[in-house]
Amino acid sequence: MERIDAAQARDHIEMVDRILAESHPRLCAGGDFFVVWGVASAYITVLFHLVDIGMFAARALWSVPIVLAAAALYSVLRARSLNRRIARTSLVQREFFNVLWLTLGVTFVANVAAFRIFTGIAQAALWSIAEAIVLLYIAMHGNRRAQIAGVLVVVSLVAANFVAPDRTAYVLAAGMLAGYAGFGISELLAAE
Amino acid sequence: MLSKVRLGVVAELLNYDWVAFSELARVLHVSNGNLGAHLSKLVDAEYVEEEKSFVNRRPLTRYRLTKKGRDAFAAHVSQLASLLKEAT
Repeated sequence: MERIDAAQARDHIEMVDRILAESHPRLCAGGDFFVVWGVASAYITVLFHLVDIGMFAARALWSVPIVLAAAALYSVLRARSLNRRIARTSLVQREFFNVLWLTLGVTFVANVAAFRIFTGIAQAALWSIAEAIVLLYIAMHGNRRAQIAGVLVVVSLVAANFVAPDRTAYVLAAGMLAGYAGFGISELLAAE
Repeated sequence: MLSKVRLGVVAELLNYDWVAFSELARVLHVSNGNLGAHLSKLVDAEYVEEEKSFVNRRPLTRYRLTKKGRDAFAAHVSQLASLLKEAT
């Protein structure tokens, strides 16, 4: 090892301490993702209900995979584009995306493959649970808006449990819009 | 990693996944040429990983700390701390 003296060693350590102290990796939630998925999940929830009560024909459900595919495609393309533009991507950010994709992925699989276990409105409630998990994870990293949004989604879940059955879907959808999409809008406004 | 600039680069990369060259130059207050030379040494030592791409037809070069770099940083800081302790 080349020799450096104690004064240089102190200087180097102080520089490292300063850099680490000033390093505040922020969890950037990307508001537009939340708007897209909040609106998509609310749409699907209400659509299923309207088909169930006979207001729309069953063939309207063909729009569901199209909406999901569009939301997924937007998310993938936008994430790739953002990833390259951001000057720094923090380790926290990477972990957040892992949590996000894991939560949404498992929920999607449960929706598609466990439809006999999660029947009827339970399928929509799965999305509310997924959204609450994602929002509260962001909240754990200091985002107060995410905390409020996460609580809104949870409250909508509880409220949906107790309202009249013909209103359950609307209450869940309201939670998705106000909580998930609402959080997305607040993030976009804060970024401006 | 003995150079102060290289140590600064590694410290900046510690909490981040990828950091752009321009961002490193900005926060470390070093010229592009100087930073480029130090980053080359870090890449050659496999302490740092380099990625080159294009965004809107403009070149973007980003860097990420490797596990080897992370371990080397910890060892280096430990040596610096020992040096300080011996001196006091």
